Amino acid sequence: MRLGHRAEAIDIAGGHVTGSGPDGKSFALGYDRLLIATGAAPIVPRRPGFDRPEVVVVKTLEDAQAIKARLQSGSVKRAVIMGMGYIAMEMAEALSLRQVTVTMVKPRAELLPWLDAELAATVRGELEHHKVELRTGFDVARIEAGKGSNVAVVDASGASLAADLVIVAVGVQPNSRLAADAGLQLGPARAIAVDRQMRTSNPAIYAAGDCADAFHVVTGQRAWIPLALRANRAGWAVADHLTGREVALQGIAGTAVFKVFDLQVARTGLSVAEAAQAGFDATAVTISASSRAHSHPGGSPLQVHLVGDRRTGRLLGAQMVGREGAAHRINAPAVALHATMTVEQFGQSDLAYAPPFGPSWDPLLVAANQLIKKMKEES
Amino acid sequence: MKFVIIGGDAAGMSAASRAKRQDPSLEVIVFEQTQTVSYSA
Ligand SMILES: Cc1cc2nc3c(=O)[nH]c(=O)nc-3n(C[C@H](O)[C@H](O)[C@H](O)COP(=O)(O)OP(=O)(O)OC[C@H]3O[C@@H](n4cnc5c(N)ncnc54)[C@H](O)[C@@H]3O)c2cc1C
Ligand SMILES: Cc1cc2nc3c(=O)[nH]c(=O)nc-3n(C[C@H](O)[C@H](O)[C@H](O)COP(=O)(O)OP(=O)(O)OC[C@H]3O[C@@H](n4cnc5c(N)ncnc54)[C@H](O)[C@@H]3O)c2cc1C
Repeated sequence: MRLGHRAEAIDIAGGHVTGSGPDGKSFALGYDRLLIATGAAPIVPRRPGFDRPEVVVVKTLEDAQAIKARLQSGSVKRAVIMGMGYIAMEMAEALSLRQVTVTMVKPRAELLPWLDAELAATVRGELEHHKVELRTGFDVARIEAGKGSNVAVVDASGASLAADLVIVAVGVQPNSRLAADAGLQLGPARAIAVDRQMRTSNPAIYAAGDCADAFHVVTGQRAWIPLALRANRAGWAVADHLTGREVALQGIAGTAVFKVFDLQVARTGLSVAEAAQAGFDATAVTISASSRAHSHPGGSPLQVHLVGDRRTGRLLGAQMVGREGAAHRINAPAVALHATMTVEQFGQSDLAYAPPFGPSWDPLLVAANQLIKKMKEES
Repeated sequence: MKFVIIGGDAAGMSAASRAKRQDPSLEVIVFEQTQTVSYSA
């Protein structure tokens, strides 16, 4: 382990890596095989005021510790969170629970554009219920010194929000500059293009994790969806290939889950828009069922959105929102996507039932039955 | 064989530990720019 060592260039012809060490001293090291596992970095807009100390990102352990220290100093009464993705929502919850007044802003109109509108409305309701203010259509132009607060977050039209802390969570980008400079091929979003053995376009160099792309099991196309399981698994695949074991990763389904206050939000596969974009003849249903059997007290609504292909009957994606039962239930349709099941086949699955965990017809099966009907009607 | 890894978190450390386990004769060197290893997942 060489900590405090930053790699700055890869010399492919010479087969070595150069960079700078802890005391600024430069280093060079030859390799037989190289793995680029540089991850992703938060995007920070290049606009006035983003270099202020009150403006932070959430990526590393140090970032989290710095935010915590600020909160503990008691100087943070109001926070503005830029972005409304999962990291932004997790931070909205964490700050609200510490009595910080939170406003979330984003330039576009939709809360979670990839999420079905009915499910997104539930998420919006949950945030509003917890007094998180949502300002869509707010494109931050600059951050300047504030009156009575640390900073003012100002949008293009001049609207201004007071804040003691600004969290920038507007997405991440792959750390692929080393690879690009070395002439390695890049894929979607400028992630490093890799095959099913994690090899880049150079046979001695692998790439794995958030810096690299993956094949999507639904579209068969390259995709960049930077998440932790894939990073771990891709690392294993590199080790297997390097030590002469057979390995061929299937790819990713885009399965993801997060919690916002008392809601679980889960997805796998494609949304209708993504499916249409990929050339499918997509249609979808949205149902609401109970998270427990009627006979069992304490149930709550579980919304299920299922996407299918009218042409082939194939299951293309699933989304769920609910107070319970959404997070791990998403793994069933995720596996169905890996198995390229039709909605009909998925609807025949033998899913578990007991009253505390759902109705005897699982909400996923209810949605599948509705989708089968709809696909028949529409074709 | 010299196996060099840039980045010591989820992907990098998964590869480093599994490669070393499967072939103890490998020379594995990890460059990590921060002072933290495997902090995320
Ligand atoms: C706040 C937050 C919450 C998350 N929650 C989830 C979740 O709930 N579920 C989920 O699946 N995923 C989640 N993720 C994503 C998950 O953390 C990543 O997918 C995972 O960490 C990727 O691992 P990685 O090893 O590819 O990259 P990283 O974890 O980014 O590690 C890359 C490492 O490389 C080092 N490095 C980069 N460049 C250089 C260089 N030039 N020289 C030396 N070292 C370098 C970095 O310092 C870093 O340690 C979350 C991410 C964040 C930020
Ligand atoms: C304590 C218990 C807990 C359970 N928990 C679960 C669970 O959590 N999840 C799960 O999936 N399953 C559970 N089960 C199983 C589930 O209840 C049964 O699979 C389900 O009831 C079967 O439905 P059925 O209509 O086929 O049969 P039954 O519910 O057994 O109904 C058969 C009916 O037919 C009647 N009958 C039988 N013979 C005749 C006849 N000759 N003429 C007229 N009527 C007749 C019987 O009186 C009965 O009313 C549980 C069962 C028990 C006993």
